[in-house]
Amino acid sequence: MKRLALMLTLLSAPALAEGENVTIDPPADGTVSRAEGLLAFARIYEVTSHPRCSNCHVGADNLPMWSGPSYGRARPHGMNINAGESRIGAEYVLCSTCHAERASLNDVPHAAPQVAMAWQLAPVEAEWFGKSAVEICNQLRDPDRNGGRDHLEIASHLDHDLILHWAWNPGGGREPAPYSLQAHVNDVLAWGVAGFPCEND
Amino acid sequence: MGRVRTIARRTFLVGSVAIAGGVAFGTYMMQRRLPNPLEEGLADGAATFNPWVLIDAEKVTLITPHGDKGQGVRSAQAALIAEELDLEFSQFTTSFGEPNGAYWNRAFAEEGVPFKATDESFMAENMRAFVRGITKLISMQGTGGSTSMADSFDKLREAGAVARETLKAAASQQTGVPVDQLKTAAGAVVLPDGTEIAYTKLAATAATIEPVRKVTLRDPSEWRLIGKPMERLDILGKSTGTLPYGIDLAIDGMVHATVRVNPRQGGAMTRFDATAAKAMRGVKDVLEITGGIAVIADNSWRAMRAAEAVEIEWGDAPYPHEQDAHWQALADSFGEEQLDSMWRDDGDVDAALAGETAITAEYRSPYVAHAPLEPLNAILLVTEDQVDVWTGHQMPIMLTQQVAAITGHDADQVKFHNQYMGGSFGHRLEFEHLKQAAEIANQMRGTPVKLTYSREEDFAHDFPRHISMGRCRGTVANGQITAIDVNIAAPSVIGSQMGRAGLSVPGPDAQIAAGAWNNPYKIDAFRMCAFRAPELAPVSSWRAVGAPGAGFIFDTFIDELCHAAGADPMEERLRLIDHDASRKVLEAAGEMSNWGSDLGPNRGRGVAFVESFGVPTAEVVEVTNTDRGIRIDRVFVACDVGTVVDPVNFENLVQGGVVYGLGHAINCEITYADGMAEQSNYHAHEGMRLYQCPEIIVKGLENQTKIRGIGEPPVPPAAPALGNAIFAATGQRLRELPFNKHIDFV
Amino acid sequence: MRLTVNGKAHEVDVEDDMPLLWVLRDELGLTGTKYGCGIAQCGACTVHMDGIAVRSCQVAAATADGTEVTTIEGLGTPAALHAVQEAWVEHQVAQCGYCQSGQIMQAASLLDMNPEPTDEDIDIVMSGNLCRCGTYPRIRAAVKTAAQKLQEA
Repeated sequence: MKRLALMLTLLSAPALAEGENVTIDPPADGTVSRAEGLLAFARIYEVTSHPRCSNCHVGADNLPMWSGPSYGRARPHGMNINAGESRIGAEYVLCSTCHAERASLNDVPHAAPQVAMAWQLAPVEAEWFGKSAVEICNQLRDPDRNGGRDHLEIASHLDHDLILHWAWNPGGGREPAPYSLQAHVNDVLAWGVAGFPCEND
Repeated sequence: MGRVRTIARRTFLVGSVAIAGGVAFGTYMMQRRLPNPLEEGLADGAATFNPWVLIDAEKVTLITPHGDKGQGVRSAQAALIAEELDLEFSQFTTSFGEPNGAYWNRAFAEEGVPFKATDESFMAENMRAFVRGITKLISMQGTGGSTSMADSFDKLREAGAVARETLKAAASQQTGVPVDQLKTAAGAVVLPDGTEIAYTKLAATAATIEPVRKVTLRDPSEWRLIGKPMERLDILGKSTGTLPYGIDLAIDGMVHATVRVNPRQGGAMTRFDATAAKAMRGVKDVLEITGGIAVIADNSWRAMRAAEAVEIEWGDAPYPHEQDAHWQALADSFGEEQLDSMWRDDGDVDAALAGETAITAEYRSPYVAHAPLEPLNAILLVTEDQVDVWTGHQMPIMLTQQVAAITGHDADQVKFHNQYMGGSFGHRLEFEHLKQAAEIANQMRGTPVKLTYSREEDFAHDFPRHISMGRCRGTVANGQITAIDVNIAAPSVIGSQMGRAGLSVPGPDAQIAAGAWNNPYKIDAFRMCAFRAPELAPVSSWRAVGAPGAGFIFDTFIDELCHAAGADPMEERLRLIDHDASRKVLEAAGEMSNWGSDLGPNRGRGVAFVESFGVPTAEVVEVTNTDRGIRIDRVFVACDVGTVVDPVNFENLVQGGVVYGLGHAINCEITYADGMAEQSNYHAHEGMRLYQCPEIIVKGLENQTKIRGIGEPPVPPAAPALGNAIFAATGQRLRELPFNKHIDFV
Repeated sequence: MRLTVNGKAHEVDVEDDMPLLWVLRDELGLTGTKYGCGIAQCGACTVHMDGIAVRSCQVAAATADGTEVTTIEGLGTPAALHAVQEAWVEHQVAQCGYCQSGQIMQAASLLDMNPEPTDEDIDIVMSGNLCRCGTYPRIRAAVKTAAQKLQEA
């Protein structure tokens, strides 16, 4: 298991690479009302619940999902894939066995999505699949579950994580996540400036 | 002769029509010995005794003309010769040989007569003998219909024995020791004093004497190889990546090609623009071929990528563009005019069904792709006076005819170099990719052209298994099935397949209801009708041909009636069976599975019985209904092939057949939208994965007198046994394949 | 691009996005690695890249640049079989055999990472490799035999 440990260190290291040019320009403090913040979150939820995003934000069973408007109803990733607690498949088959790193988009229909960083599941604390808007809302603003990030840091994370960029440019005939990456960043910033309101507050 | 050949070729699958039509010819042509192709160009000092054995001073070569698609017949054929010739596996090389009428398949006739394969009556046997004559006359060489062992078992042992006795005669001539004092062992003739003379040292003498044709085959008690585990000749190569398939071959100066042909199969190409493709790296040319384009490049991937870059407009398909219309065509085919044959008409079915409330059910079996893992490919080199073809194929002589018709050569100028096949399941009975390769290579004479299909092109032109629809009625009384009326409608797979090869096949198509009409059940009121639907999308023989669809329909309905009667599905089948070997098979499956024992909650057990290619096969499937869906736990299979040649390979093939049958029953279908197959690759037509594979326990019985093949028969019972098990576990009756349209699987 | 295949250094002039599979098969003539689907569905093209199993149809040449690749031809030879290949021969796994290069490379990778796989481990790791002939019962048994052989070695 020596090799396994080595790979865990290698592959779970955050890959920082330049992505699209995302502008992080938050509204001025106090300019976003609670109602506007809730509207921004409603759009955020459309993104987080979209198969391009939620399929990899799965729970502690570590089973990525396959689905989406271009790919039938939601079901576990084919081939009995289990990403393991490592969330990169190190215990079984590494995600990178098929989701190789590549600089350009893998646009072949139905082939394994690929970006210029190691493919992986989102951390288990960020479980979105099958969760309600209120659940995700509370989770996203909870520093214990969002990596201790404020809205600016969430926006910055969106700028740097190339898997997230892929969601809006998935290629291969897949339907992208709604709106755009920039619009999503703007919504996160607006929601944060509004004080992270959730419907249950 | 030409006319007889034409008539004979058209009628080989329907012997009854040949007789009705009064085809007459002398017995001489049917009985004469065909010339041995190995004699042509035979080197000095080399000996050949028959078309299967060639010995020179260096080595022994065995010709194993049946194609190997993974079923291991290259080894099995060699073992039959080696059994009588006393050779170890390390002492000979093998070759698929050349296309030649001497290798005509004696067992194709079995499927060409309208009798149950298990019917050994005088009438049935006579008819088979007649059709065998025709298949010999028209040089019907080929692999399919699970016939390799049936064709080879006597013939190849005899070939080995003739070679052995001739070598002994040669040794006698060389040494002066009388033949009756000579023995053979491990590739040598052994003298009374123990001296061994290797066969290779006897070749020169043997070549000068007439082969000894009067031989006695060994008693089964003396067999060294047959019936015992053997190490397949190809196993080392296939475990080390060193055994080349057709797709792996390279010829000096070869260019790489791929095609895109109208996915609305048979439709035209109305316009294309290859400007962008021609500018791509490595692309040498873009050629127009029938129904599409071919890209020639210096690398397969470059050819495939450029082919995608060609802008093409496709014409309409010559069949309904939407899947619903295909089903409607079947639904509209249950009429008197479409009646293809009435296979059973016992008792007064109408009366039996009139007085009571009949149980009715409708079933559907979809189009399913063969999709062997090695995509279709071929290398062709066309020159002025010869065409060389390297690929794996099931029909060598027809291949040469089909290629010759494109290039304008005579068929015997086409040299076919058969290769190990990366699966087939019937896919490599087709000629369309070879015709395309011939069109390309004929435009580039002198340059070897390697055509490789992309997986997507392969799926688009798979010529899948035909669709079938079943409409069944039946009655039960006093815990028993009392009447049954089964009607099955399907397009003719034989008509579609032979039609593409330019042949028309008159008469009924036994495959429409194969696996159903040939059941061994005796029921007082029993009618079984096959209806021929119009030709729809092109289809071809898929592993076990008609039996997976019709067998699913028939056996599931039997199961429904058993449950309706309140009868045990195993007991009631046994009560109805009127064929001894079939009964024993079913009983064996019952014993193996401990039928009747309690499985516990959420579990169920289903049995199915289907005979195909003369092999009665019973399967019992056990499933659990988990919270994630149906899990298939275990499968018990009993079948009777008469003689099991290699128990290890036999078990592997039965297990593989069960996996093939179950996998497709779970999740595979080809559907048409806008005239094109909607499934383009394995993500949408997956079959079974390893984690879904149940434990499969196999028992081969040997009660039948004739030897049979095992490539196909395990497939048909798998789907109905699974559906019947799911009903037992859940109460949900599944009447449409694939089952995942209606229920989830783990 | 430069890459080392089975210990031998190669330099090939190909597009950045040519899949490693086709570099191996059509540029280097190493045909033990098979083309089955081109979209990571069948696993027939599995090789080891820097010691890790990858579907070579999914690895762009640019990604493979500078790596060390092992193909089925480099895992073992008919004269000197790898333990996994020995087990494959003993269990007579192959039917058509077209998927088996990939199966063997995946199994070797599994045993490298996890020398004592459970049944569940095998079911997870080996399910990305499609076998159309249905040799799965034998693959399962052969993986266990190979694990034993490697333990004893």
